[in-house]
Amino acid sequence: MAVCVAVIGKDNSPLYIGGIGNDTSTDNELSRQWLVHTALDALEERLASTNTNNTGANTNAARTDLRDLYLGLLYSTDTHKIYGYVTNTRIKLVLVTSSTSPSGSNIRDAEVRTALRRLHALYADAICNPFHLPGDQITSLKFDKQVKNIMLNNV
Amino acid sequence: MATQPSDYTEFPPEIILKPLALIGLSGLDAVNNAIHKEIWDAFSNNRRADRTPVRFKLLNNTFEFPVVKPKRNSYEWYIPKGVLKKNWIHKRVSLIPAVVVIFYDMDWNDPQWNEKIIECASKVQSIRAAVEGHATRVAVVVIQSRLSPPPSEYMLGAERAQALCAACEIQSKSLFVLPHSDHLMGYIVRLENAFYDIAQNYYHHESKNIKQHRDHLNKTTHQYLFVRHQFKLGYLNELKQDLSTAHKHYMHAYNNLLETRIVDTNTHEVRTVAGYINYKLCKLLFALNLPRDAIAQLKSHIERYKNRIGSTELLFEHYAWIARQYSAFGELFDEAIRAGLPAIQSQHPGFYYQHAAQFTVKRRQAMRSVCAEAMAYPPPPDPLEGIVEFYGQRPWRPGRLSADPHDPQKEQAAVLALQYNERIFNHSAMIISFLGSAISQFKTFHSPRMRKQLVVEMANEYFYSADYGKALTLLTHMLWDYRREKWWFLASHVLNRALQCAYLSGKIQDYLQLSVEALSKHMQVPNNDKDRIYRNIMSVLNLNIPAAEPDLPAASQHKALELWQSAIEKEPLIIPVDMANISSFLEVKPKFKQPRYRMDEIIELELYVRLLYATVLEVRNAFIAISSQTETIEIPVIDEGNSIILLQGEKVKKFVCQFKPNPHDSGSDLRIKSVSFVLDNDRKRKIVLNFKIEGSKVTDSTIHPELLHFIRSPKADYEFDSIVPLTVASITSRDSKLSLLVTNSSPALQGEWFPSIFTITNNEDSQVYDIKITLSLLSSPDNPNPDSVTELSMKEGEPQTQPLYLQVSSLSKSSSHANTFFLKTNRTATATVQIKVSYYIDLPEITKLECTKDFCTKITVIKPFEVSTNFVAMNFNPITKCFVDDPFIVMPQIKILSPWDLLIVDTELEVIECFKTSDSIKPLSCITNLEVAEKNVASDAVCIQAKYKPKDNPTRVGLYNITWRRKSNTSHCVMSSTALSALPIDDCPVAIEVKYPQVVELLTSVPLKCTLFGKCSTPIRLTLTVEGTDAYMFSGYKKISVTIPPKGKVELCYNIHPLVAGNTTPPRLKASIIGDTASQELVSEMFDKIFPQNIFVMPKYNK
Repeated sequence: MAVCVAVIGKDNSPLYIGGIGNDTSTDNELSRQWLVHTALDALEERLASTNTNNTGANTNAARTDLRDLYLGLLYSTDTHKIYGYVTNTRIKLVLVTSSTSPSGSNIRDAEVRTALRRLHALYADAICNPFHLPGDQITSLKFDKQVKNIMLNNV
Repeated sequence: MATQPSDYTEFPPEIILKPLALIGLSGLDAVNNAIHKEIWDAFSNNRRADRTPVRFKLLNNTFEFPVVKPKRNSYEWYIPKGVLKKNWIHKRVSLIPAVVVIFYDMDWNDPQWNEKIIECASKVQSIRAAVEGHATRVAVVVIQSRLSPPPSEYMLGAERAQALCAACEIQSKSLFVLPHSDHLMGYIVRLENAFYDIAQNYYHHESKNIKQHRDHLNKTTHQYLFVRHQFKLGYLNELKQDLSTAHKHYMHAYNNLLETRIVDTNTHEVRTVAGYINYKLCKLLFALNLPRDAIAQLKSHIERYKNRIGSTELLFEHYAWIARQYSAFGELFDEAIRAGLPAIQSQHPGFYYQHAAQFTVKRRQAMRSVCAEAMAYPPPPDPLEGIVEFYGQRPWRPGRLSADPHDPQKEQAAVLALQYNERIFNHSAMIISFLGSAISQFKTFHSPRMRKQLVVEMANEYFYSADYGKALTLLTHMLWDYRREKWWFLASHVLNRALQCAYLSGKIQDYLQLSVEALSKHMQVPNNDKDRIYRNIMSVLNLNIPAAEPDLPAASQHKALELWQSAIEKEPLIIPVDMANISSFLEVKPKFKQPRYRMDEIIELELYVRLLYATVLEVRNAFIAISSQTETIEIPVIDEGNSIILLQGEKVKKFVCQFKPNPHDSGSDLRIKSVSFVLDNDRKRKIVLNFKIEGSKVTDSTIHPELLHFIRSPKADYEFDSIVPLTVASITSRDSKLSLLVTNSSPALQGEWFPSIFTITNNEDSQVYDIKITLSLLSSPDNPNPDSVTELSMKEGEPQTQPLYLQVSSLSKSSSHANTFFLKTNRTATATVQIKVSYYIDLPEITKLECTKDFCTKITVIKPFEVSTNFVAMNFNPITKCFVDDPFIVMPQIKILSPWDLLIVDTELEVIECFKTSDSIKPLSCITNLEVAEKNVASDAVCIQAKYKPKDNPTRVGLYNITWRRKSNTSHCVMSSTALSALPIDDCPVAIEVKYPQVVELLTSVPLKCTLFGKCSTPIRLTLTVEGTDAYMFSGYKKISVTIPPKGKVELCYNIHPLVAGNTTPPRLKASIIGDTASQELVSEMFDKIFPQNIFVMPKYNK
């Protein structure tokens, strides 16, 4: 289903970027990172607009209640579609599908939503590790394996 | 926008130009005739968007209209040679006017009317002859100098206008009069609209003509004509400003073009024309405010033509064409936005410029694959020379439609020529230009990261075009952003490219800075070869040329070597590297051992250094810069007495620095400004690694200090990660060992000069000197602004300016100094006096150290007494008001509150204006020289009377001044003043004086004489009755009416005879006033008050 999944911290630094592609060469990794990095523009814009909508009394409560964590399709290029998801602690999850592959182009919104929810759960599990320092990159092999599973699951 | 790079795909100007109806103006001599020039300027200048969409052209006498082609009656044998003729639009927009307007100077009442009308008619005729064959309309404007014709000539004007129309053979609606007057602009605007109407009519007529051709066409041979005619209709409608009809016709043209058969020979023509039509379509859709449709049109356009590649030898032309489609659309989009169209982050012109850049990259790739052999331009004759009649046709085979090339050799030469041109084309400049446009758009539409990516691509483009300096500048800026957001992979990519640029441009400073950063653990370098980079740094330090970076373009390597050879031994020899802002292989954490140091302590500083790269780094010299208020000092870092420091890779080293504080820095903060390491190999060149320490950025924001303990750094590393740097330490003054004792007899009394003795004792180990003592008042919440009501002095009774300064030259060990200060305050609150002692002391480690010590003493201030007042009548009955000229007694009562015994020296009542003392001589106070103790009450009594009734009742009777002192203090008296409360004054028309004895004997007659005085200027009539009692008999009038003359008096005499002994009420007189009832009450009150309530009757003793 997905070709790339990224977890990005609240300061916009990458915590985890995983991708499945035909090769793991530098060029592929580079284009993947560019793609995720530029997706942050759309993500931030989306977050800024939801915040201004919810200003008022007890903003915090309202925001967490009203805002759907899943942000939907952020933008699409000729080759890829990029979906976003933001946790309450402003951890951003990005999922990239390929519009050229048959499984990627016909993906339904609900599937992406489910996948990102599962990714959120996995992330929560990963940072529960007492030896993990919040803000550090996620190096857990288990996490990596499970995330790759999500990506492959629906291919 | 003129910034777009040009090549053969660029749209011709007539396609881009906005079509405007063309109107020719003839008969205007704009050079020699001032009036004509003014008219021409009014037409041609300031053609803003709100004016009529027409274009004016000044036609001179020599202007020639294009020759009309013979009308074709049948298309049966006609085969079109191409789709769109190149000169058709040009003719429409600048050669064939829709209307020719002939200007002629003529007044209706011109004396030479007949000659003029003939001349005008001939001019019209000559124009008619010139436009022969075109349907161009003709109109006449008569320029008249007179403001307006007088009414008598109105008829004449109408007549002559008709005559003129007849002479010129024009309709009357084509004749206009232009009075040359003040309102020229208004007339011009109206004329413009009239011309525009005629022009629209003309274009409508023209398009009808073209529509008629349609019936003669057939689809097999005339497919091109379907396109051409629809395009012409579209264009004519555009000239007519009928945009939606124009769009409809262009759409037909576009669809007809799609149906044409495409072969290699006409691919270029078809896609060129398709591009123009698509451009027109998109432009119209934007103008019709249908941006979504415009975007959809472009998408389908690209989709349709994406695979119509044509000949593979000229593949690059296809990509060039696509790139141009995108960039032209970007420009249209951008123009629409500037005209007010809103755009969003996900849909703006930037994306189209980006696509244009991407396809230009593809174009270059295609060029590389197909143009490799095109090493030279083909020999003459030049196949690209020649004029083509149709858009998009090849000069070497103009107007040919057959699919097979008729001359293979010529064809081959032409392809070679195109390939060669493409080979020498500067693709990078074009890509950079497209990227530049895209970058500014992405910046506008809130996409900073997209912009960064494009900037990096732009830098790459500069790299490919060997402009390493520009590439390096761009990359170093971008590196900063990626580093800040910790996208290390991207940062590494940028860094490696930047390092290549720095090497190739031979910039030592940048090269070293980037190399140092490349050694960071976060950065990935090609082949993971950090040793190479480390060796390069060392080479530069040893004045050797560093090894080349991998994957460099071979062409630039030689030049780079030359650059290095000339630069390596030259300035800059000392290269500072800013380490704080880069991710580096060396980490430092400086830390003051304590957050606070006293002046007489040695300041200790710890410095932890971690080298993350596995090597042994020899640091020749290291120092820490520390700044204070006054100066910045550099503290050398010393490793076990050795100034050369060896740092082991992957290890943490700790250094301790010590220094003495500067005596001037007392009370201020010390800050660690920077830590610097100097690398030096005795070869002139030095590298200074500077760590700037910023106070605000002490800890890494992502790592929470409380979590630092979880980092599993080796214990041997001093737990580097969990060290929290402390970069600010405050210097406080040394603890003083002086003591102070204040003795006084508190509480102080309000208003007195209160003495306090303070004694300073030197408990230091040595003599102190230059002692300065400052006394000042401190404000407190319950006593704000104490200096406004409180005086301080060293002398009793003499106020001095605050604060008070005292100087004592020296005070030897264990001796003391005593002094007295006085405080006088008018506020009953606690006064706080600060005694600040500053002095110098010579300590073994520091000489002449300034020390200060503050002492505070609090003095409670209370009131010495309280004064209250009673008012009584002469008979000591309390009263609540007094009458004019009626004496009464004021009794101030002084209640003593002071815990100390006081002596009241004297008292005095100062009455206000409307009172006076009843005694002619001012009496002595009854309580002079009276000693009083706490809770005693001293009563005074003063008899006063009102002089007159003032307008407003007075607020007080007067000031009561008490002069007093403490019983113990013999020298100084204090005068306290208290305002005594007021008593209302009333004015009674009569005054009464009653004379009677206080005590009488039983059964003895005594006289009771009552005198009534008139107080006002009119006589007063009173009815008097005597109210008798059982205790007395009396003689005299029981009821009488009296008249008291003004300022006169009436005496009444009675004899009273007491019948019983004891306290008795004597007979009393009651009065009622006759006439003036207003003062009745006052008079009754007065009588009540004056007549005695009781008289004591003594029993008669029998002798």
